[in-house]
Amino acid sequence: MKKSAFIGALMAAITATPVFGETVKIGYMTTLSGGAGITGTQMKQGVELAMDHMENKLGGMDAEVIFVDDQRKPDVAKQLANRLLKSDRVDIVAGVIWSNLLMAIHKPVTRSGKLLISSNAGPSPIAGENCHQNFFSLSWQNDQTPEAMGKHMQDAGVKSVYLMAPNYQAGKDMLTGFKRYYTGEVVAEIYTKLGQTDFQAELSALRAAQPETTMIFQPGGMGINFVKQWKQAGMDSVSKLYSVFTVDAVTLPALQDAGLGILGTQTWSADIDNPINNKFVADFKAKYGGYPSYYAAQAYDTMLAIDYAIGKAGSKDADKMGEILAAGNIPTTRGNLQMNSNHFPIQNIYLRETVKDDDGVVTARIVETVFENHADSYAQYCSF
Amino acid sequence: MNTAISTFLMIVLSGIRAHKILWVLIAGFGLFPLFTHLADLPFWNDLAMRIMLLSIAAIGLNLVLGYGGMVSFGHAAFIGIGAYCVGISQHYGLMNGWLHILFSLSACSAIGLVIGILALRTSGIYFIMITLGFAQMLFFLFVSLEGFGGDDGMSIDRAEFGFIDLYEPLRLYFLIWVVFVCVGLMMMVIVRSRFGVTLQAIKSNETRIEAMGLVPLHYKLASYLISAMICGVAGTLFANWQEYVSPDIMHWTRSGELMIIIILGGLGTLVGPVLGAIAFLLLEEFLPLLLEVIWPAYAENWMIIFGPLLVLVVLFGRGGLVGLAQRAMARVNRSFNSGERP
Amino acid sequence: MTFTLILEQIFNGLQAGVTLFLVAAGLTLILGVMNFVFLAHGAQVMIGAYAAAAITNATGQFFLGILLAVPVTFASGYLLEILIIRHLYRRDHMEQVLATFGLILFFNEAIRIGFGPAALFSDLPPSLSGFVEILPDVPYPAFRLWVIVVGLCCALAIGLFVSRTRTGAMLRAGAENPEMAAALGVNIKMLFRLIFAAGACLAGVAGMMIGPLTAVQSGMGEPLLILSLVVIIIGGIGSVRGAFIAAIIVGLVDTVGRVFLPSLLRLFFDQATADGAGPALASMLVYILMAVILIFRPTGLFPAKGRG
Repeated sequence: MKKSAFIGALMAAITATPVFGETVKIGYMTTLSGGAGITGTQMKQGVELAMDHMENKLGGMDAEVIFVDDQRKPDVAKQLANRLLKSDRVDIVAGVIWSNLLMAIHKPVTRSGKLLISSNAGPSPIAGENCHQNFFSLSWQNDQTPEAMGKHMQDAGVKSVYLMAPNYQAGKDMLTGFKRYYTGEVVAEIYTKLGQTDFQAELSALRAAQPETTMIFQPGGMGINFVKQWKQAGMDSVSKLYSVFTVDAVTLPALQDAGLGILGTQTWSADIDNPINNKFVADFKAKYGGYPSYYAAQAYDTMLAIDYAIGKAGSKDADKMGEILAAGNIPTTRGNLQMNSNHFPIQNIYLRETVKDDDGVVTARIVETVFENHADSYAQYCSF
Repeated sequence: MNTAISTFLMIVLSGIRAHKILWVLIAGFGLFPLFTHLADLPFWNDLAMRIMLLSIAAIGLNLVLGYGGMVSFGHAAFIGIGAYCVGISQHYGLMNGWLHILFSLSACSAIGLVIGILALRTSGIYFIMITLGFAQMLFFLFVSLEGFGGDDGMSIDRAEFGFIDLYEPLRLYFLIWVVFVCVGLMMMVIVRSRFGVTLQAIKSNETRIEAMGLVPLHYKLASYLISAMICGVAGTLFANWQEYVSPDIMHWTRSGELMIIIILGGLGTLVGPVLGAIAFLLLEEFLPLLLEVIWPAYAENWMIIFGPLLVLVVLFGRGGLVGLAQRAMARVNRSFNSGERP
Repeated sequence: MTFTLILEQIFNGLQAGVTLFLVAAGLTLILGVMNFVFLAHGAQVMIGAYAAAAITNATGQFFLGILLAVPVTFASGYLLEILIIRHLYRRDHMEQVLATFGLILFFNEAIRIGFGPAALFSDLPPSLSGFVEILPDVPYPAFRLWVIVVGLCCALAIGLFVSRTRTGAMLRAGAENPEMAAALGVNIKMLFRLIFAAGACLAGVAGMMIGPLTAVQSGMGEPLLILSLVVIIIGGIGSVRGAFIAAIIVGLVDTVGRVFLPSLLRLFFDQATADGAGPALASMLVYILMAVILIFRPTGLFPAKGRG
């Protein structure tokens, strides 16, 4: 072998192996304090479990995760993002529950040349016209889940539906996504007040309309209130209830039996059968005493993705990691995740029903797969 | 002309002498970037910018709250309007920063005029509630404006101010600082002028002022408009800093925070709002860190210390931080003097 | 738009109204008689809801939960007054705002530490989870009917107390002219303490009523607080009667308004505009109502201190 070729091969071998002794720093931003702290806590638990499983190494490098609390305020989020980048000099900024906070930090982080990975929020501008090659979503694009609900109801032959969501951007996006695939009759499209606690008036109007089905998006506390009141008003005998992002492992402990029987669509479920997910769910239950929610699963997947990217790229350079992630085939709790051209996942979306498991704990189980390898609808507007 | 300039300078200089702490602080902010550069802690500039922006808004609100005795619970709405002026202008392709400021001033004075005229028919707690009511209406309005992002908000590029490129590291910092200085000067002059003195007199005894033949409503309305415009400018600069605007900026809890800052710092004083803003943001920044160290399991619950801290400030600190500082200085003077006695 | 729907919505509005009244009654007296701005009143609602839910979950008995939670909330109000509130009467409104804001943060966080950030499970008692036919074919949730009854009974009791008893007379005197009342020998300290504790208790009862219907979590009282402030402004500060009438009006406007406004708008505008503006306008409705009333009656409808 020629000397130069030999040296070349040696160099290739050296750079291909993970560099030991280098540390990779991840800045993980969620809401830990205040009313929404429960969601942030789930995500933190997901990340910590992942780090446990990977023995605090990502891609072979020693890893440090810096958790920051955005207090659900865009200006705090912005300041934290700046601090993570300039002071803590993190290699990746990840996390972010809320769409508005993601919008606030999107430009500063991507512009700095570091990767921004979302474990939850997926607003359409970032999937479309404002996309950036340094952004990756390990969760979903906001419209995908309601699109699946729309398709399911369309395929199931539902003739009419009564829609309800809170009057804010995410609420409108959800119903828009739903109507993209459901072409039947929409009896009414009601936007309730953000943060509303009492839906009795809306339920009375619903009863008067006698719709065949009702589809709602009421996240967090609003969902708990709505579902409780729906059951208390005996609405199950009036209309069949479907939901997106309303009944999950975060709200079920407060709903208990009231959540039973409700159908919803989701990109992840605790009963997806693959080794990664089985281990995740079992260890999560053992460590934290309850089913993980999709927030926790997505946070876990984010860390798996980072581990995969660094491992395969052999470095923590943003462009190299980005290339690996963009190529897809990322091992996650949802199976091998594929990536769309705008760096949002192409994934299955399942129909799930709330049931009681063998221990009598309320959880959601997959009924059927609505979409296989479903892509989001905004990639066409994205160009890097 | 010469005498006018020299009288103006005299007013300013005497004002600066009388409000030393304020001007020391403002100068401090001016020198702060030097410190962060030397200590290699550049991200602290962000915190300093947030404090300055909050101070500007607080100084504006203090004119009506502290000096005018009008408790407006809706001033965050003006900050929001100022911020949205930037967003909405950019949506239509207008990138000139000076234009944004012009829009902000006009919008805030117009809306401030309408709200002011209607609200100033009431007083006391009724005034508080009606200003809250209007602010809530504006909040819900912006949440429902899909064209401008609704509550997902709008992404903003830093505005073009002609010769100043705001993307250069310290340009935005010093732009905010210059506005801070101007607003500080303006407030100092207003408060020491006949207008300001009359306003404070109205706060303590409105009937007496009426008996003197003046119309309190004119003074109140004028001060309301000035404070609205100052908050609007703060909002415009804030939008540039955050590069993003959303309706949360005008949520009623933000108005509450602004009031808390002024009361914490010291109502009706020039330096109070600034001290309050510094204290509030430093607490928000460092209290969680403190808890991480002494009680890590409950680090997220740092507000359980913040809450009682506010209660204690009220129970033991009449006049806010300024009051505390004054009493501390008086005590130091007393012991100093008594020590000198032979 | 059938008659039965309208009737149902009126009942809904009544139920919302009496719940608001329970919160507003205490607030209007605290503000009117004691001239104290008590922003942390929402925390009292939360304490009542948590006390009832916790006791119910522990004992399995809903009514026992309520019965025991009432003295708990009374005691919490009483203690709060003795420890902190009474030191703040002489302070100015702004300082009271600051202190009570700090109290809100404290209570919300304390609940979060004590019970966790997730919502507490609370459900209807089996005896009240059925329906009552208020009209043939119009089933109305029994629990909500019970809330209306409890609310109206409380309102009646308070009304009688304020107008027919000596303490009630002292209260009215205190609302109209606190200095004169003190000069006439009324034990102001004890009166204030009792008013505060009673107000806390009423707010707690409101919390216990809505607990089974909604999510029992930290910060649940704040939305009710804001609405109650609107109610006492409309009703006139210091007047329990005003608070009652205003609470019913606000409850009806908010409930019925949100549901019928979009349809109303559709009569005048096209579908798209009506559907877009409807929800936004509905959220603002109560504030618009308050602003309009204040413009014509700057001190509310039935102010204790008279017009002007």
